Amino acid sequence: MAKNIKISIRNLYKIFGPTPDVALEYVRKGMGKADLLEQQRHVLGLRDINVDVHDGEITVIMGLSGSGKSTLIRHLNRLIDPTAGEIRVDGEDIMSYTEEQLRKLRRERMSMVFQKFALLPHKTVLENAGMAKDIRGYTTSDFEADARKWLARVGLEGNEYQYPHQLSGGMQQRVGIARALVSDAPIMLMDEAFSALDPLIRSDMQDLLLELQEELKKTIVFITHDLDEALKLADHLVILKDGEVVQQGDPQEILLNPGDPYIVDFISDINRARVLRVRSVMSPPDDGDATFAGDISEKDNLESVLLKSEGDMSLNFRVVRNDQHVGTLHMKDLARALVPTAASADRNKNAA
Amino acid sequence: MATYDSLFSSLGLEQWCSEGKSSGPMSMADLLNKNKGESAEPASIWELPFPSMDALNESCAAFPQSRELTKGLEQGFLAIKDSLSLVLDPLTQPLSWFLDGALYGMLNTPWWIVIPLLLAVVYVVTKSWKLMLFVGGSIVLLAFIDHYDYAMQTLAIIFVCAFLCVLLGVPIGIAMARSNSLQRMIIPVLDMLQTLPPFVYLIPLIFLFSVTESKLYGIAIILYAIVPVIRLTNLGIRLVDKDVIEAADAFGMTPRQKLYKVQIPLALPNIMAGVNQTIMMSLAMVVIASLVSAPGLGVLVLRGIRNLELGVGLVSGLGIVILAVILDRVTKASLARINVSQKQ
Repeated sequence: MAKNIKISIRNLYKIFGPTPDVALEYVRKGMGKADLLEQQRHVLGLRDINVDVHDGEITVIMGLSGSGKSTLIRHLNRLIDPTAGEIRVDGEDIMSYTEEQLRKLRRERMSMVFQKFALLPHKTVLENAGMAKDIRGYTTSDFEADARKWLARVGLEGNEYQYPHQLSGGMQQRVGIARALVSDAPIMLMDEAFSALDPLIRSDMQDLLLELQEELKKTIVFITHDLDEALKLADHLVILKDGEVVQQGDPQEILLNPGDPYIVDFISDINRARVLRVRSVMSPPDDGDATFAGDISEKDNLESVLLKSEGDMSLNFRVVRNDQHVGTLHMKDLARALVPTAASADRNKNAA
Repeated sequence: MATYDSLFSSLGLEQWCSEGKSSGPMSMADLLNKNKGESAEPASIWELPFPSMDALNESCAAFPQSRELTKGLEQGFLAIKDSLSLVLDPLTQPLSWFLDGALYGMLNTPWWIVIPLLLAVVYVVTKSWKLMLFVGGSIVLLAFIDHYDYAMQTLAIIFVCAFLCVLLGVPIGIAMARSNSLQRMIIPVLDMLQTLPPFVYLIPLIFLFSVTESKLYGIAIILYAIVPVIRLTNLGIRLVDKDVIEAADAFGMTPRQKLYKVQIPLALPNIMAGVNQTIMMSLAMVVIASLVSAPGLGVLVLRGIRNLELGVGLVSGLGIVILAVILDRVTKASLARINVSQKQ
C-alpha cells in the first residue's frame, strides 16, 4: 500500500462539558465513558483516535449511534474542535489554521454530504448544486455548465429548475452529491449520506457512488451505521465503539479475523459468501498439477464461485488477474471461510 | 393618634418625625375625614390598615405620602424633559418629514393615479387578480361615501410607520438572534411595550414633543407596532434548520454570506408574519393616535364618540374594518407566496 496519506488523525480526544481540559486528565489516566459522566459530568466523545485516510480510497467509519462517528467526521473540517490531538490534511496541521485558511480549506479542498441533505429550500436544484462555487464568488453563468454536467451525471437531467421540496429523498441526496462534486474538492465527507433513504434507493446510491469513485478517485470519508453498506463501500474500514477505535483495516481482513467480541456480534448476521472475495481466501498459485474447474477473478465474491461450482466441494479454481494466474482457490478453503467466525467459538467459551 | 405611632416611637424617630411637617397636599381621604370630624383611629385589629406610605405618614409627618411618588416622577420627568427633547427632537425630525411628505403625496396626487397605483402594488405582491378586484372595490366604496381622504391619510401613516418598523425592527431582531445576552435585555422591553396601555405612553410623548408635530403620533405608532417584527425576526432566525446552517459552514460561508444567503431567506416566512402583525398593529394604533392629532379615519371615530354622532362613528369604524381586511389579505397573500416557494 504505497498510497499517500491524505488525512491523518493522531491522538484525537473530544470531551463535551464545561471544563474539558480537567476531564481530559481523568480520561488520559484511564477513566471510562460511564465513570466520566457519573463522576465528572462530562461526556466522552472520542478517545485517542488514530486513523490515516489514504488518497483516492473510501474510508468508512462505522459504529452504532452514540459511538462518536458523526463527531469524528466533523473534526476533519473543524465544524467541531478537538479537546486534544492533531489533524493533518496534506501534511498541514489544520489546528493551526487561521479562520481565513480554514474557510479556504472548506471551500476548496473538502466538500460534505449530509444525512438530512441540508439543501437550501429557496434555491433551485441548479443553484443548490453550484452552492460551493457561489460561495467562492462565481456567478450562476460561471458554474452553470459544470453544475449541469454533474447533475446529469447523478441522474438529475431535466430537474435543474425544480426546487428541493419537489424532489423525492433519493433525488434530493443526488443533488447533495452533485453539490459536493461541483465544488471540485479532492476530499468528500459523507455523514450517513444514505441512511435516510429507503433500502432500494440506498443500494442504487451506493452503486452510483462506487461508479463515480471508479472514475474520480476522490478521497472519501464515509460514515455509516450499516455494516452491509460499510462492507460494500470500504477500502479501509474503521469500527468505532463508545468513542474508541475497536478495529480498523481491510474490511475482508476484519471479517475473517475480528479482533473483538463486539465486532463478532456485528458481523454475525452478515451474508459472508456475498461479502468475502476470492482474493481473501485463495492460496498462492500451485505448480500446475491440480486440475482447474474454471477461471475466476480475484474480485469475485464467494457466492458467485459457489454458484459456478454447483456445490461441489472437491473442485479447484484458477484465480486470474488480467489473464495472469495469481492464485488457486480450493473449495475446501472457501467452505472454511464461510464458517461463522472462529472468534464466536471463543466467545461461547468465554461465556461458559 | 394614628395606628403606627408606637412603631416610630419605639424606633426613636419621634424627633425626625416632628421635624418635617406634612408638606404634601392633603389627600381626598383626609379632607373627607376632616369634614366628618372624626379621626382615623381603628377600632380593632380587624381594621388595621396596611402599613402603606399614607398610613405611615399619618403617624409620622416626615414620612412621604404616596402622592409624592407620582409627583416626584412627574417632576423628575419635567426636569430632564428639556435635555431629552434636545436630543430626541433632531433625531426624530425625519419622521415628521416622512409623515408629512406621505400625507401630502397621498392627498395631492389625483385619485385616478393613486387608486391604480395601489392596485398595481397589490397585484405585484400577491399575483392575484381576485384580491386586486376586491381591494379596488373596497377603495371605490370608501371613496364613494366620501371617506377617500380620511382612508388615504390613515394608509399613508401606516405605510410610513410600518416601513420604519421593518427598517428598524429586522436588524434589531437579527442582532437579538445572534446574542443571547442581548435577547435577555431586549425581551423585557418588548414585553413592556406590548402590555403598557397605549394611552400611557402617549402622556410622556405629549410632554416631549409638540402636539402639532406629526412625529408625536409617528413615534407612538412605531413604539407600539415594532414589537412583533422584532420578535418574529428573532424567532425566525433562531428556528433556521441547524442542518442547513451546518452545511453553510461546511462549504465555507462567511458569517455575512450565511446571513444573506441562508438565515434571512429561510427566516423570511416568519419575518413576513411579523410584518403582517406590525401593519395590523399600526392600524390599531393610528386610530388611538387620533387623540394626539393623527389625521385619518380615527378622527371621525373620535368625533363620533365626542359628539355622540352614532352614524359617523359607525361608518368610519366600517372604513377601518375595510382597511384592516385589505391590509391583512394582501400581506397574508404575499406571505403565502413566500411559503410556497420555501416548503421543505
